[in-house]
Amino acid sequence: MANDSDGLRTPLGRVRFLGAARNGTGEAWLMHVTSLALIPLTLYFVWLVLDLLHMDYNGVREELGRPLPAILLLAFIIAGAVHMELGMRSIIVDYVHGRSRAWALAANTCFCALLALACVYAALRIGFT
Amino acid sequence: MATTDAAAVKRRPRPLSPHLSIYRLTMTMAMSIAHRITGAGLYVGVLLLAWFLIAASTDATTFGVFSAFIESIIGRLVLFGSTWALFHHLIGGIRHFVWDAGYGMDAPLRDQLAWATLVGGFALTIVVWAIGYAVR
Repeated sequence: MANDSDGLRTPLGRVRFLGAARNGTGEAWLMHVTSLALIPLTLYFVWLVLDLLHMDYNGVREELGRPLPAILLLAFIIAGAVHMELGMRSIIVDYVHGRSRAWALAANTCFCALLALACVYAALRIGFT
Repeated sequence: MATTDAAAVKRRPRPLSPHLSIYRLTMTMAMSIAHRITGAGLYVGVLLLAWFLIAASTDATTFGVFSAFIESIIGRLVLFGSTWALFHHLIGGIRHFVWDAGYGMDAPLRDQLAWATLVGGFALTIVVWAIGYAVR
């Protein structure tokens, strides 16, 4: 018998921590956490946009300079950026194969990081200047 | 002899598992791909938010350029499309949470949930745009 030396180990015990699926759970978990956070944050964001819709430049800056809109907007940006990075990652893994997959994944991460940084920078600049 | 066996194996097409083109399109399948498409759309649509924030953080002239775009017909169409994608994706996500919790996977309910995603996405979009025009 090939498995004599593993006689007392279960099939699960033999493969645990060996396979590729080590960080898949973390990604799925983060996707669920950001999804859940984005439900109220998105509803607030839509509310905020409706509020800002008919304001002029100074009104918009004053509103986004208040703590609550600023903090919730920052939360929306960060949760959204992580969520879209994970979502586009699953699309890339499904449709892009071979070497270009690595480039696509890297481009996705960089795009989402830059977008988040640009939004956070702008939102903080509105609040602090 | 081994080579002739290999050639014989090569000539015979390997069995394929049935894929998308084999199955009749169902509502849950349609909403599954719609969830992915709206997600990808929002990936691009979020650039509007970045543009808005950067413009608002710069000066009144830069903000005016953004305002002029968003008030134009093309700007309104892009914003309307983004609103719909946002609500469709939001309700689709809630539907996935319902399924993850183990509910709503039986035959009538799963289709009703899929229809609710489609109808709810359009309904919320229209309600929000109606509010947007009403409060001006």
